[in-house]
Order: sequence, then C-alpha cells, then structure tokens
Amino acid sequence: MRGRPFLLIAAAAILAALGLTLAYHHGGLAAGARAERKKVDVIFKMTDNSFWRSVADGVETAAKDFDLDVTIEAPKDETMINAQIAMLRAAVADKPAAIILAASDYRLLVPSAHEAKERGIPLVCVDSFIESDDADVKIGTDNVEAGKRCGEALARIVPPGSEVAIMSYVKGSSTAMGREAGARSVLEGTMSLLGTEYSGSESKTAFQQAEALLMQHPNLRGIAALNQPTVEGAARALVALGCSGRVALVGVDNSFEILKYVERGVIRDTIVQKPFTMGYLAVKSARELIDGGHPPRYINTGSVDVSRDNMFQSENQKLLFPVAGGS
Amino acid sequence: MRIRRIQSSLIQSFAVLIVFTIVLLGAVSIYFFKKTIVGIAEQNTMQLVSQLNRVIDTYIAYMDDIALVLVNNADVRAYIDSPRASPPPLRLRIEQFLGSVTTVRKDIDGIFLLPQARSGVAAPAGPASGGTESGGTESGGTESGGPDVRSSLILAAAPGGVINPDFDFRERYGAYADELESGKAIVTSAHVENVLDDRYTWVISLLRKLKTGRREGYVMVDLNYAIIKDLCRDIRLGTSGYVFIIDRSGDIVYHPLQQLVYGGLKSEDIAGILRLRGGYLADKVDGRELLYTAADSSQTGWTVVAVSYMDELFAGFKDAEYSFLMLALFCIFVAIVVASLISMRISKPIESLRRSMQQVEGGVFDIEISVNCSNEVSQLAYDCNIALKTVRELILQNRKDGELKRVLELRALQAQINPHFLYNTLDSIIWMIELDERAQAIDVTSALAKFFRLGINRGSEIIAVRTELEYLGTYLSIQKARYKSKLDYEFAFPPEMLELKLLKLLVQPVVENAIYHGIKNKDGPGLVQVRGLLSDGAMLISVSDNGVGMNPERLEAVRQELSHPEAAELELVEERPGGSGGVGLRNVQERIRLYAGEGFGLSFESELGQGTVAWIRLPALSEAQP
Repeated sequence: MRGRPFLLIAAAAILAALGLTLAYHHGGLAAGARAERKKVDVIFKMTDNSFWRSVADGVETAAKDFDLDVTIEAPKDETMINAQIAMLRAAVADKPAAIILAASDYRLLVPSAHEAKERGIPLVCVDSFIESDDADVKIGTDNVEAGKRCGEALARIVPPGSEVAIMSYVKGSSTAMGREAGARSVLEGTMSLLGTEYSGSESKTAFQQAEALLMQHPNLRGIAALNQPTVEGAARALVALGCSGRVALVGVDNSFEILKYVERGVIRDTIVQKPFTMGYLAVKSARELIDGGHPPRYINTGSVDVSRDNMFQSENQKLLFPVAGGS
Repeated sequence: MRIRRIQSSLIQSFAVLIVFTIVLLGAVSIYFFKKTIVGIAEQNTMQLVSQLNRVIDTYIAYMDDIALVLVNNADVRAYIDSPRASPPPLRLRIEQFLGSVTTVRKDIDGIFLLPQARSGVAAPAGPASGGTESGGTESGGTESGGPDVRSSLILAAAPGGVINPDFDFRERYGAYADELESGKAIVTSAHVENVLDDRYTWVISLLRKLKTGRREGYVMVDLNYAIIKDLCRDIRLGTSGYVFIIDRSGDIVYHPLQQLVYGGLKSEDIAGILRLRGGYLADKVDGRELLYTAADSSQTGWTVVAVSYMDELFAGFKDAEYSFLMLALFCIFVAIVVASLISMRISKPIESLRRSMQQVEGGVFDIEISVNCSNEVSQLAYDCNIALKTVRELILQNRKDGELKRVLELRALQAQINPHFLYNTLDSIIWMIELDERAQAIDVTSALAKFFRLGINRGSEIIAVRTELEYLGTYLSIQKARYKSKLDYEFAFPPEMLELKLLKLLVQPVVENAIYHGIKNKDGPGLVQVRGLLSDGAMLISVSDNGVGMNPERLEAVRQELSHPEAAELELVEERPGGSGGVGLRNVQERIRLYAGEGFGLSFESELGQGTVAWIRLPALSEAQP
C-alpha cells in the first residue's frame, strides 16, 4: 500500500505535539526553578547609620524587582576591619550567587575578595572599593569629585589664604583617600591647610578633634569634614564652642542631624551622595552578572550639593529625608 | 506523465483546510481573548484607581473640614486678630482644640495656625513688630505682599512641640500665596514639613487663608504622607504592577520607586499621562509593555495612575494558549487520520479498479473485477465487468468467425475440387480424342480450363451472380459435351439480378446434383433449368430437372440431412459415387447458413418420375457482406 507517507505525516504530527509538550513543560520547570531565588550576600561597612540604611533600602527594593534573596550584614562600625574580613570569608565559604561588598579597607580585604573571584562568585563593590581588579563591577560616588566639590564649596565661602582644616575618617579606606585627594586639589595652594585628622568614623572622636582644632587654631576659618559622623562631630563642636558664625563647615553625606545643622546654617554645604541608587544598582548589576550578562564595570552614581537654599526642593527632599517605613 | 494520486491530493487539501481553519479560529479567538482580558483589566484597574481617588478625596475633604472649622472658630479669629496680645488661656484653648483633633485622627500629622505678622500691604516691616529678632523680618518689606509669618506666633497641635525657629513660611509656601488670597483651599504635593523643631515629616498640606477685619493668617492641616503611601503601596497589580500619583504639574506625589525615578533609573510617561486626562494608555516604558490607567481627582487635582504590565496580564493566558495549542495539534492529528481513512476508502476501490484495468490493458480479459464498496466506484466496476464480458464474448465470436471463415474457405475448396467430375471429364476428353473428335475435345478441354480458372480463383468468396452463371455455363457445357443430347440446360435470370452478389460455387453443386441424381439415371433427354427471381428482398435461384425424382422417403432423408448441416462439418469424406450426393449439398447448405444466417438455405421439392426442384434462397445483396 502506498498510503504509508500519510501515516508518516500523522506520526510526525504526534511527535511534534509531544515535542512541544515537552518543550513547554521544560520551560515551565525552568520557570519553576527561578522561583527558588538566588542568594546574594551583602556586606556593608556598618550598621545603624542613615547612609547605610538608605543603601540597604535600595538593595531591598532592587531585590524585589530582580527576584533575589539578599542578606545584609555589617560590622558594628567602620573600623572593625577584621570583623568585615571574617564576614567576607564566611560569605565566600557559603558560596552565594553573588557578593556585594562595601570595603572598609582599601587593601586588607583584597585577599578574601580574590578568593571569591577564584571561586567564581561575582563580586560587586559598592561605595568603597578595593585595590585590585577582582571586583566585576564598581558602583559608587566619584569620591575625588565629591571631595573636590566639598573643597570648592568651602573656597566659595571663605576668602583665599584662610586657615582651613580637612577632617577625614579612616585612613586606609578608598573613599576617604579619594575625597581627601579631591579636597586637597582645591584647597592646597589657595588656602593655608592644616594637617588632616582621622575620626575613624566616630562622631565623638570627630567632636574632640574639632574642639581641639578650634581651640588650638583661633584663626581657623573653615573645616571640610569628609563623612557623616565626622561632619556631625564637627558641627556639634562648632555649636558647643559658639563658633558657627566664624568657622564655615562643609561636609560630605547627610543625616537627620546634618540636615538640622544645614537648616540652622551651622553646616553651610554638604555633598550628598545617592545611597539608594547605589544599593539598587549594586543588586541590578549582581543580577546581570548572575545571568551571565556584562554590566558596566564602573558606575558613578553622582552627588548633589545641598545647602539651606535648596534642601526643601522637591527633587532633594526625597534624597535627604527618608520616608518612615521606606519609600 | 506524472499522475497525482487521489489519496495524496485529498489528504493535502484536507490538511490545508483543517490547518487553515484551526489557525484562523485560533488567531481570532486569541485576539478576542486578549482584547477581553485587557478590557477586564482596564475596567478593574479603573475601578481600583477611582476608588483610591475617592478615598484620597475623602481624606482631603476631611482636612478641609478641619480647616473650615478653624477658619470660622471664634477663638482662632480672636487669636489671629491680635496674636501678640492674646492671653495665654486663649492660646492654650486653641492648642488643646488642635491637639484633640490630632489625637483622635492619627492620619492628621499636624494642624497649624500661622498668623501673619501684619497685613502684608499695611505697613513696612520693623517698627510695629516690637523689636523681636526673627529670621523673617529682614526680607519682609522687600517682597511686596509676601506673607510674613513669625515662628514664635505659630500655634501647633503637637503637644509640647517646639516651633522650628528656622521655619520660613515664605520660603516653603510663598508660591501658593496668590492662590490662597482667593480664599480657596490649597492642597500641596507631598513634601517635608519643618514647622516643628527636630522634626522632619513627610506630609501633604492643606492651607486656607483666614481674614479677620484687622489681620490675616493661615490655617494649615498636614496629612501624614504614610497614609497615602500605605494606600498606594497595598495595591498590587499582578506581580509587579503598582500605583503612583502625580499632581497637576506632573510632579510625583507618590511613587513606590520615587528615588529611582528621580535618579533617572526608572521612567514613567508623565507627559503622556497628563495629556490623557484620565483613561487608558498602552505604552512601552523601559523596554516593557504596560498599561497606564489614570483617573483625575477634582478635589486635589492629582492623577492616580495604575501601572499594569502586559506580560503579567497575560500570564494566565499562557496556559490557555498552551492548552489551545495542544488542542489544535490534537485536532490536526485527528483530522489527518480521519482524512487518511476517508481518502483511503475513496481511493482504495479506485486503485484496485485501476489495477484490474491495468491487467486488462495487459491483455488479461478473463477477470472479474471485485470492489469492496458500495458507491459510484462499485457501479463503475459493475459497468466495467459488463464491458469486459461483452469484450470477452466479442473475442470469442471473433475467434469463432475466424474459424468459420476458414471452414467456409475449406468447404469452397472442397466444392471446387470434385475429383470425379475431373476424372469423368478427362475420360470424356480421352474418348473424344480416341474418336477423333478433335474440335470437341479442344472445346471441352478449354472449357475445363476455364472452369477451374474460375473455380480456383482465390479472390473473393463473394462474386456477382453473372460470374456464377458464367462459371455454371462452363460447367454445363462440359457436361453437355459428355452427355450430348441426354442433357439440355436453360438459364433464366432477370437482368437486375445479374449484378447481385452471392457466395461462389453455390449453384454449381446443386446443378451437379441434378445431373448426377436426376438426369444421369433417366432414360431419354433431360433438361436442367436454372432460374432466378427476386421476391421480398430475397433472391431465389431454382435448379429444376426433369429427371428420376425422389420418392417421399428419400426426399425426407435429404431434407433431414440438410436441416443439420453441422453434422458433416468436418467430415472430409469423399462423396461416394451413387451416394445421395449429401456432402456437396450439405456443404452448400452450411455455407449459406454461415453466410446469411437462419431463414436462408437450400430446399428440395421432388416427385418420383417427375423430377426435382432445388431452391436456393439467399439475401438479395448488391454488395458483399462484410
């Protein structure tokens, strides 16, 4: 019988149907597997700080958007570098889908980060970077630029040749180095620059250092404080010694306290980073790396000059004042 | 020639038809299904958005109620009239009243009474204010008509709350001054409130201007922004759909990802939504297809916008699509199987018929075509069978005819070679030569030669009557030479008969018979008369003699023999001398029957001593029968 070809067609139709069914179910399984969310370990510099809370907010928002399971941890404060190294090691041993790190030290975290790299764990550095190429993506404020803007703000307020001081925080941190370099590039030469202080990101230390500066240098006309606790400590010292009219304080970062001082005119200008954006983009990049994509290797999230004049402008309000319970 | 097989044509057409139908139906139903889904989604979302708008409007209306109560409150008006001169109990009463409202209503974040330092137009700032140093005074006079609110005079609901000395009404709300002048309530967008010291809260403010006869001031009611946020945040459209709110100018009042929007990491088609002024907008934002559902609120001037992602709208649709695909494949499969079966049923009988006919083409006729079906094809097969049967019969007939023709030829040959006639004639010739009758011998010999030439002529079996008569004349002239006066003969034929056709050598054997059995044994002269006549389309040739005749028994015997000419068909026995002469006559009879069929033939009449008449009845044909 020569009708065989038609039986073949019928057989082909069945096979096609089966194939499609399989393909569909396979797709269904793949989609099901995605439901088991990839784990991303996030290690920050410190807990209990408005800047890092904003970064965490961005991370958590993005985790929802990009379907990732994030765990955020951090040492109690920024100087506990060993604790952070231990956390990074534990994370590497845990082998998550990706690690997001804000390095407290530019050099000391390199070996552990390298280990992550060797184990094939994608690494995203946020805010503060490390002295190696092990990070797949670096996201943060251009700290040299932030420092420069800070210096420029001070230079706008105080006359040239005035005595000014730079108050930094952790000596080995990449952000601190960048900001200091930026501020120096503006102030060195035009101003009489005193030696740099390091507060260790402790507002108490900063207060004491600022108090000492103010008392030892009666001609001091300006202070550039390079991170949040340092700005806060310096502002408190200015208020405590009643020098806010005489000494202009400019800073980097914001907090409720800093904004209060900005409103009161104690802090003349502060360079505000975009922590929420940093956190969000860090997770977005992690997702792309997990999916085998190639996100940009470096993202500058930018910064904004905030002074009493523009702090209540609608585009700045959301950046400066956290909405209770997250946005 | 390549022939397309019926079965494949059928299946192909079926398949194309079925696939086309299913695909068309599928496409149309999917289209309408999608349209319905989008329609339902639009309706539901619009309901949701409108409801959200109503809830927000309710809050705003409530805030306005509070503001109106305050504007018309006697204590409040008294305070605005002379804020500085107001006795502490009045201030306390107002503060308690404001506080009671905020305690009951958690959604109200704060209520503030903001008296203007003086009527903006009245007098220049400074002297009347009584020398209190405040941030507002220094620029008070320069901005004409700018409301100048002194922090120290603000009354707040917040119990024990300290008024922020750095609060600057002009800076924060100065933009609304002109609108407020009309006495209308103004609703701000979401913003940070900084009236109270050490407190930055996200609120939505409603302001009203309060004018007493002497002075002016403002009433401000702050709605906790968290209320709006929670209202919107609780709304989930699909997995990742959400709701956001923009104000009249397109500024964001609420957006779950406001920071991303400001940071440029996320975009919304704000311009498109503002143009829409309520309704639906299918859009593609950040590479994702979505549906905006927007509703405007008259109370606030805000637009509540719902974002539904198309891929999520159709998430459940994927399953339906899958089921449909499976169903379609199954239908196509079943259809192909059914089409195969049907086409097989149709084409199989045709195929078997064709194969049978191929056999026939090959020369095999003795087959019976049998087809297992009961439709037109079986009728065709039946007709073919009948045709085949006819063909078979024709072939048989043809073969039979061929055989008969050969027999006829053989018989004619037999008829013409009558050896006795030859011997007798040769004997006669010898006698004539011996008797020295040379002239006669020559005549007879030449007649004999002519006789054989005519008889053996291998031309047509069918000849004209004239030729037969010529032949007969030759024959009789030879016999006459032998029998001399004992034999006489006569021909009588109508002239129209001479050109008619008949089988050759039909008449001669009958004449021979008349001579040998009639005249020869008779004493005295004999006469053979050969006559022809036409009657009713038939040709009658009679051979009569006046010889001895036959008695009835013999006549009957002759008739019997002639009625069964076939019996002697292949008897090639020689005619015995003195026999009945039956072989020659039977030969004649048989040839007539073969040639002309029943109703024609040879018959005899005879009377003993009187003579015999032989009748040859033939069809009167002017042309040879094929």
